[in-house]
Amino acid sequence: MMRQQFDRDIRSLDAVFSFLRRFADEERLDARASYVLDLAVEEFFTNIVKYGRGTSNEVFLEAVRSGGTVTVRLEEQTPVPFDVTRATQTQFDVPFAERKPGGLGIHIAREMLDGLTYDYVDGTSRITLTKHLET
Amino acid sequence: MFSISVNEKGIIILTGRLDASQVDRAREVFSGLDASAVVDFQSLDYISSAGLGVLLATQQRLKKGGKALKLVHMNRMVRDVFKIARFDLIFEIE
Repeated sequence: MMRQQFDRDIRSLDAVFSFLRRFADEERLDARASYVLDLAVEEFFTNIVKYGRGTSNEVFLEAVRSGGTVTVRLEEQTPVPFDVTRATQTQFDVPFAERKPGGLGIHIAREMLDGLTYDYVDGTSRITLTKHLET
Repeated sequence: MFSISVNEKGIIILTGRLDASQVDRAREVFSGLDASAVVDFQSLDYISSAGLGVLLATQQRLKKGGKALKLVHMNRMVRDVFKIARFDLIFEIE
């Protein structure tokens, strides 16, 4: 299991990707799984940076592989829970000229992941992403 | 790393990883575009919704004047992202 703390800042993204790359190398993840984790973590991390309600400046990332499944968790201390699994869905049925990118990242992440859960316990918000590896 | 350049034929070349921390560099180039253009993805390894947002805004602006972006040489993963976002209905992808 790998765990690391990051500043709640868009400039932390490089370090976030380095963390994920080390994890992918250690666990010998295939290119597709690695891409999906990068994308999903980026989307939720940037969401935390943009809309963060956290009381501290830290976001923790934790990654673990168990057999054929990889789990990555984003964790922050916050007084206000925000369940990303209930986030507004992207509107695909609007005319092209009116399409907006809002919600697109979470939509793509959800489609590419095999699992997405949110929980909030004792002031700690946790987003848990799971991806099954191809055999 | 991410870089964006325009070659002698006017083709926009994307290289590396276009993520949320790099998107302003892409926006600088695309916001100055006022004609149809080809965007070459051959050396682009990664794109997230931040990059898609810049492309969407550019396509919407260009289409108002009857112009458009054409996207070429995407790798399989990047193409999958475009399909999931249903951007394959918005852009000509070759």
